[in-house]
Amino acid sequence: MAMSLSYFSILPALLLAFSLIAEAATVTYDFNATWVRANPDGLFERPVIGINGKWPLPVMEANVGDQVIVNFQNQLGNQTTTLHFHGLFQNGTSYMDGPGQVTQCQVPDGGSIVYNFTTYERKAQQSGMYWYHSHHQGQYPDGIRAPFIIRDPEFPYKDKYDEEIILSVSDWYHEEMTTLIPKFLYKGNPTGAEPVPQSALMNDTQNLTVAVQPGKTYLFRMVNIGAFAGQYIWFEGHNMTIIEVDGVFTEAAEASMIYISAAQRCSFLLTTKNETTSNYAFVASMDTSLFDVMPDGLQWNSTSHLVYNKDLPLPEAQLVDELKEFDDFTLVPFDREALYPEPDQTISLDVIMDNLGDGKPYAFFNNITYVSPKVPTLYTAMTTGADASNPLVYGEYSHPFVLEKDQIVEVVVNNLDTGKHPFHLHGHNFQAIVRSDEEAGAFDATNATQTQYPSIPMRRDTIVLRPNGNTVLRFKANNPGVWLFHCHIEWHMDQGLIATFVEQPLEMQKSLIIPDDHKAICESQKIPTAGNAAGNTVNFLDLQGQNKAPDPLPAGFTPRGIAALAFSVLAAILGCAVITWYGLADMGAASQREEERRLAGMDGSEGATRKDSGSEASDTKVHSLD
Amino acid sequence: MTVNVFSVPVFFVVFRETLETAVIVSVLLAFLKQTLDGPSRDPVVYKKLFKQVWYGTGFGLLICLVIGGGLIGAFYGIGKDKWSGTEYYWEGAFSIFASLVISIIGWALLRVSKMQDKWRVKLAKALEEKPVTTDGRKGAFKRWCEKYAMFMLPFITVLREGLEAVIFIAGVSFSSPASAVPCPVVVGLIAGFAVGYLLYKGGASSKLQLFLVVSTCLLYLVAAGLFSKAIWYFQQQEWNKVVGGDAAEVGAGAGSYDIDRSVWHVNYGNPELNGGGGWGIFNAIFGWQNSATYGSVISYNVYWIAVITGFVVMRYKEVHGRFPFAKKKSEAAAPLDRAGSESSLEQGHKVGKTSATVEAVSSKEIRE
Repeated sequence: MAMSLSYFSILPALLLAFSLIAEAATVTYDFNATWVRANPDGLFERPVIGINGKWPLPVMEANVGDQVIVNFQNQLGNQTTTLHFHGLFQNGTSYMDGPGQVTQCQVPDGGSIVYNFTTYERKAQQSGMYWYHSHHQGQYPDGIRAPFIIRDPEFPYKDKYDEEIILSVSDWYHEEMTTLIPKFLYKGNPTGAEPVPQSALMNDTQNLTVAVQPGKTYLFRMVNIGAFAGQYIWFEGHNMTIIEVDGVFTEAAEASMIYISAAQRCSFLLTTKNETTSNYAFVASMDTSLFDVMPDGLQWNSTSHLVYNKDLPLPEAQLVDELKEFDDFTLVPFDREALYPEPDQTISLDVIMDNLGDGKPYAFFNNITYVSPKVPTLYTAMTTGADASNPLVYGEYSHPFVLEKDQIVEVVVNNLDTGKHPFHLHGHNFQAIVRSDEEAGAFDATNATQTQYPSIPMRRDTIVLRPNGNTVLRFKANNPGVWLFHCHIEWHMDQGLIATFVEQPLEMQKSLIIPDDHKAICESQKIPTAGNAAGNTVNFLDLQGQNKAPDPLPAGFTPRGIAALAFSVLAAILGCAVITWYGLADMGAASQREEERRLAGMDGSEGATRKDSGSEASDTKVHSLD
Repeated sequence: MTVNVFSVPVFFVVFRETLETAVIVSVLLAFLKQTLDGPSRDPVVYKKLFKQVWYGTGFGLLICLVIGGGLIGAFYGIGKDKWSGTEYYWEGAFSIFASLVISIIGWALLRVSKMQDKWRVKLAKALEEKPVTTDGRKGAFKRWCEKYAMFMLPFITVLREGLEAVIFIAGVSFSSPASAVPCPVVVGLIAGFAVGYLLYKGGASSKLQLFLVVSTCLLYLVAAGLFSKAIWYFQQQEWNKVVGGDAAEVGAGAGSYDIDRSVWHVNYGNPELNGGGGWGIFNAIFGWQNSATYGSVISYNVYWIAVITGFVVMRYKEVHGRFPFAKKKSEAAAPLDRAGSESSLEQGHKVGKTSATVEAVSSKEIRE
């Protein structure tokens, strides 16, 4: 805690510290990851990653300012794993953030690690809806994901509701990721068609019933813990009043339908009707525009019910005319934080899907597809001295950007792909100052019509970038650590749609202390914990031996191709020459004799020998003629 | 907006397929004209064989229209393109068959050119008169093929090319206005016929040997391309299976081919895409591939090596009366012995016939 405080300006920090110390508690979770079996959609039982022998996973809960300790053990038996606490800033505890080979080594089978962090941030207490999941090898869709709620006594809407309802939505696959990923990252899937989920779940089940009472207001905390599909959500006969997205309280906004991409959260108030004459369906509908194919029989809607009276029937969900979601870009944060000033550093990222020389589909920011470095990036930042300020040491394929203290950083993301991408930044909320419509093309900062930024921009930690559109985000680099910026479609993570922001590396060296148990799991797996991305501890700028992406596809004729073509042409010319030589030569002496003899014989045998030898003779004739 | 009455891809496909057929048909016709309609003419046999060629062409066209119509009907009826699922297997099988037939015929044509005119007529006549029955099913089938070679070659060619064209045009007319189809089909046919006619005219009026040499080279180029394409088709079908669709649909770039089998790949000049344009013609005549595989390159070269070896060996035999490395024997004994060593089956068959003449046996080796 003390470390975190060192970044505060003294007075508010002290005040905050006192208030926290007064209230703060320690919340401890003992989590033991094991395989269990589950059949949440009633269609297929499969192994899932559970915690303490159970699935669905426990919902984590804490009050703002609490110290959270997760004693995490990996007893999967066949996979390494990590935990990431999505949306938490991990201020001063970047090493607790969770991405494997970024801020820690993956927890080996039989190993354990302690995640220990607080739930307050530098400026305001962090509270609202979060979630936790594995951040390693595309693993979380196997089940290791669940909501994480941080409650706040100062919650601005605390008097506005009667009860709280936690609701997760998710897509669901019948196959394990270790089966799906090789099928997806495969030369036979050159277009990178993402596996289509088999089902949609709500609270890890289907046909959920939520008992409600008339005339009350409920606080729904929703999170999409899915791997791929965004979800449209609507309640028949009821409106939603949005009051929080991604842990940022907003001014109340009315919506009849919302869209929650993978990893996004949305909390809203819902006031029930005053009568109990009917029950109402509410629907989470997977965004099928993301799916390259629509398998027969796919049920992309999951329908649940607000039950006013359990004796009344549960009505079927009605068809909706169109899927028109509330535009989250119009939300106004409750704290009315003003637009950040002009940026000190602008990072421009183009989203590209393409194939590399192994024929497999990859995803790129600009021309780089992410490949994990040999040394976790945070450990590189901690051990490369003054060179840590040089992005080179992190390796080209971790796509690093070094951010200086208190810089305003602007991230421009241009979608050169035809799909939606929910981009997520670790360690920060960002101000979303531009988010274009579909097909708007690349952002143009010189075009005045595109730079009419809102004076109080919406903030969140995951934003949907629209097909062939763009978005511009700003944040203040006030959280030392290594933070990933990536697409939260797990398939695209696997394809390498990740960049690494290394924030204040020299400050990290001064203030962060990597816990011993974190180092121990590296050592047990022989993963280096020092040096540059290639593990070089002597010359930090020598990246020889770093992990690399495959070479690009050859653009045209390679020497091999030229040689092959030349040989083929030569063979054809030679062949034609031989044919010409053969065709122009006279009939050879031996042949001529035979031919004469044969023709003579043919004349003689025409009548007499037809019956028996004629067949042979005619054989000949035919042949010669053809 | 003007009405789309000319689909360029359709034109190129029709032109390409017609051209490939026209090359074969016109070479055959020119050959017949040269050999049987020359100074020592035999109008009866000439007419007969001339008709054979056209019957083969017409019959092939008919069958391909029937099958094509059936496939299109099935497409509309079942709503599923049955053909495209296995298209390349068919194309590959047709191609390899056509390649072999062309290779044999090409050699036979060339060899005939070396004969004296009167011999040719005699042979042709004998062929016409001889019955196709008598001994052995295998022998009869072979003889049947030989007798009707002038029918078979155009038949196979038209069937293959025609089916390809019909399927393609059907595919186009599903996606673009039907009005865009007839015009390019007609123009493509006319253009193909025109080239074929020119070839025929040129062939029929030039010196026979020269014509045969040039046309044989052309035939072998086509055959080499077909052989290579056959292998390519088989491999591409496998790739289509892997990709789970028609890889050509993803365009000419990444994913349209299997990188691990690729020798070269350029993103232009795909002969399968939208009719292929000029590249399609290039593909038809020389077997061009924008995406060559190890299989297609090696098969192309192996084909030529086989052809070169074959002709050198044939030449050696024509001069020396035996195969290279074969033991030199007395002339009378040699043929019998050779025939025996080549095929014990045939030999057994022959030995059984006590009246087998030396001529008959020696004829056997000419075939070899």
